[in-house]
Amino acid sequence: MLILRDIRKSYRIGPTEVDVLKGVDLDIHKGELTSIMGPSGCGKSTLMNIIGLLDRPTSGRFQLDGADVSYSNDDALSEIRNRRIGFVFQQYFLLSRLSAIENVELPLIYRGDRQGFTRERSMELLRRVGMADRAGHRPSELSGGQQQRVAIARALVGAPSLILADEPTGALDTKVGGEIMELFHTLNREDGITIVIITHDPGIARQCGSVAVMNDGVIVK
Amino acid sequence: MILATNLKEAARSLLSSKQRTILALIGIVIGIGSVIAMVSVGKIVQEESLRQFKEMGTDILTIEKEFGDSSGQSGKKSKTAQIKLADVVAMPGACPGMADVAPLVRGNGQAAYNGKKLDQASLLGVTESFLAINKMTISQGRFLTDMDAQSRYCVVGSKVAKDLQRLGARQVIGEQIRAGDNIFTIIGVTAEVLESGMRRFQPNESIYLHLTTALRLSSESSNGITTITARVSAGTSNTTARDQVLAYFAAPARGQAVRVSSPEEIIAQMEKQMQMFTLLLGAIGSISLIVGGVGVMNVMLVSVTERRREIGIRRALGAKRGDIRGQFLIESVILSLLGGLFGILFGIGASRLIAHFAHWQFLLSGGAILLGVGVSNAVGIFFGYYPARQASLLDPIVALKSD
Repeated sequence: MLILRDIRKSYRIGPTEVDVLKGVDLDIHKGELTSIMGPSGCGKSTLMNIIGLLDRPTSGRFQLDGADVSYSNDDALSEIRNRRIGFVFQQYFLLSRLSAIENVELPLIYRGDRQGFTRERSMELLRRVGMADRAGHRPSELSGGQQQRVAIARALVGAPSLILADEPTGALDTKVGGEIMELFHTLNREDGITIVIITHDPGIARQCGSVAVMNDGVIVK
Repeated sequence: MILATNLKEAARSLLSSKQRTILALIGIVIGIGSVIAMVSVGKIVQEESLRQFKEMGTDILTIEKEFGDSSGQSGKKSKTAQIKLADVVAMPGACPGMADVAPLVRGNGQAAYNGKKLDQASLLGVTESFLAINKMTISQGRFLTDMDAQSRYCVVGSKVAKDLQRLGARQVIGEQIRAGDNIFTIIGVTAEVLESGMRRFQPNESIYLHLTTALRLSSESSNGITTITARVSAGTSNTTARDQVLAYFAAPARGQAVRVSSPEEIIAQMEKQMQMFTLLLGAIGSISLIVGGVGVMNVMLVSVTERRREIGIRRALGAKRGDIRGQFLIESVILSLLGGLFGILFGIGASRLIAHFAHWQFLLSGGAILLGVGVSNAVGIFFGYYPARQASLLDPIVALKSD
């Protein structure tokens, strides 16, 4: 369902052109729990931005759900992000002025769904990640692990084809990080959700069904 | 749904930086306030001049003695130039354009009742024709007639009557007022009327004596007859009548300089006064609207910079550029509308104050309020568009990485 072919990305920094991605080929199948692992600076963040449609490749083909999305315009990319991709970030990135449930609702609001529905659906997802009793709390009133659970509910609320998690346990201690990984496993096993986890931690990568190892702009394994 | 959420978000965001919000609003408040004041003062003056016409008619001229025209001899002139009662009485005969005349003498000295001073009341010497020409009526008793010449009778204005009652007069008619060494018996009370441009005295705060009485009692330093109100005969234009009056007083037998004003002139003068306010308020208004708009823009630019990460998150979650632009635009419009609301209140207050000091009757103009809402809305959109566009054009990755 996710096919990358010869994806290249280069940035111009001053007079020199820096190649960050040097021809990435990657296939991710529906229902897989995949990790992309590599040391920092290997280009995995750039790859994640491209998979997440936040950035465009310099060249190469990129298919998501059978549709080529490499060169869609900005509004179309926003629409695809909204419907097909759920993001989980290392720093959670919840909006501090909104309550947990309002944060979870956001993707549905940008989709233009009715308020009654968005509330109900968001509550359902909060229940799924075990945060139903904290629906009205602000992010600042929640622990890191709880915030990440809310963020996962937000990623799931729009029923995307793909969850893209960038170092999701990076800001958490081992125990809580383990719980978050457990939640990803459960979601993958029980609901068949496709999840891609980007990490530098071999321990995390080992827990995933398949591992793509990246080094210096290419996938080496 | 997006709109409702955006409204809520905008309110939250503005509330979270109250101080900045309030500072940005000051310019808008002053700007909108001035525009509102400008429009409603215009409206007030328009209504006021209409009322003047209705109240006094257009066929009334006010003739006033010219006092010293700044040349050295003026002091001497005003002494010699006393208008004689006989000349005034002869006016309708001499000037065919004059139907009726009512001369006025301002008395000096303080009136007292029961040993207590009537501070506000001034003494006026008038004739029988006074009441009709000034479109006044009697509410109690009767007015002075020319049979009351040299008598010690007086008529009081409605406010004076109220003062007397406050000082213990049971019924105003028949009570006695002391002025200087003389005692006057009240024979009537005038009904309350507006003090307007054509009535060059305080109709409700005066004590009316017969002109002859007033002239005899007044001291040497008195100016004699200072004001004559005249009704122009039907079929004569105000200009013709005015020329006749000027010629009459300029004739060698009298040799007096007078100033004649008509209702048109008074209204023109009022409008000139209004134009000054309009110009002043218009200038203040447009400058402060620009300053206020720039303030709004500044606040919004700061807000966009502070919320780059938020913008990045929203973009990652699927917000389109238009959604981000709309969110910030709504925020700046709400900010401006809030300023507009306070501006409207401020403007109403200001026009009320202007009306009070210019002795115009205050009225609230619905059009002005609508204008205030419209203009503040426009300021919000105009000055909010640039920051909102900046926000929408942020690269999601750059925005997400910022802190």
